[in-house]
Amino acid sequence: MKVREQHLVMEELLALRDGEGPRSARSHLEGCETCREQLERLYRVRAELRALPGFVPPRSLWPRVVQELSRRRGRRRLSYRLLGLAAAAVLAAVVVLRGPAVRDSSTGARDVWVAESASQDLGPIITRSQELESLLQVYRPEYRVYDAPTALAVSALEDRIVLIDRMLVESRRVGLERELLMGLWGERVDALEALVGLQVIQGPQRIWR
Amino acid sequence: MALAHVEVARARAGDLEALERVYLAFQDPVYHLGRRICGSEEDAEDVLQETFLEVCRSIGKYRGEGSLWGWVRQVAVSKALMLLRRERARGSGAARLDGLSPDSLGVTPLEPTGPIDLEVALGRLSPVTRAVLWLHDVEGYTHEEIGELMGKTASFSKSQLSRAHKRLRDWLS
Repeated sequence: MKVREQHLVMEELLALRDGEGPRSARSHLEGCETCREQLERLYRVRAELRALPGFVPPRSLWPRVVQELSRRRGRRRLSYRLLGLAAAAVLAAVVVLRGPAVRDSSTGARDVWVAESASQDLGPIITRSQELESLLQVYRPEYRVYDAPTALAVSALEDRIVLIDRMLVESRRVGLERELLMGLWGERVDALEALVGLQVIQGPQRIWR
Repeated sequence: MALAHVEVARARAGDLEALERVYLAFQDPVYHLGRRICGSEEDAEDVLQETFLEVCRSIGKYRGEGSLWGWVRQVAVSKALMLLRRERARGSGAARLDGLSPDSLGVTPLEPTGPIDLEVALGRLSPVTRAVLWLHDVEGYTHEEIGELMGKTASFSKSQLSRAHKRLRDWLS
């Protein structure tokens, strides 16, 4: 095979560096010290790029992320702090007034729905919650088989919904502030939407692939 | 950067505390990536914020196939490139942007009088050329992947990488 005489161009050198490039370029390289030096330089620059010091954020942006997330979702979702307050208020009442938590939270939650769904502020969000529940019923997700990470996520969501339902049931006894109550319903809808995302939207792909 | 399966599952379920742990685990590499691709501290902060807004909204779509960092990084790269496109459309810093760079306008850019270091040289590259260089040589993206991310071809990516190394060769030697 005839060895080419002209030096390799940058694209050829880069291809060689990345383990590609035509055989003719490799043959040229064997006999050309200039091109070997160029290739060596490309290896060195890449190594130096990878060794550059890392930049770190000057401050945590997490509060900004949460704030922006809340703003973009509107007032439907409770802030971290408000949810904590709601939980604390409800749990304190459970301990002081009742002792053990509600046994059948789903039945209790349904009673709350009936009572609250007629109200102007809570009505739409409760209706949305019921729609999502119906959707999950139609798809009968209990017959589905998931991979471990999805099963864990589904389980965590279901636990979250049970906890929210308990808080909703107890919230009436406590006389929870309206804003916190709306936040709880918002949390419930968010959790149901996530569950629908996992069980209805992603579910079929998991089953058939 | 490893997070327990349970932690990831809680994050996927929308648990804010778990999402914050995901943020804490990946804030540094995401910011670094944003800073390297976009150049400025302000842009890197935007990339960090937009990336985690997207992570919070879409982590349910992460199926556990591949590392969580791989998924977060994909979001971050997409946000950084989106920012570059937005700035380009807005005309901000147009003289630095690829397509309107001195190269493409046929103008000879001011050359440094002597060798400069790699950090300075990176800052002198046009944003698109720098993004291609970083994504390929440091992050390990293929030319096909970069072309797809940028809405261009693999050849475009190869040509940008070649341009980047020619410039670095001239400036660093």
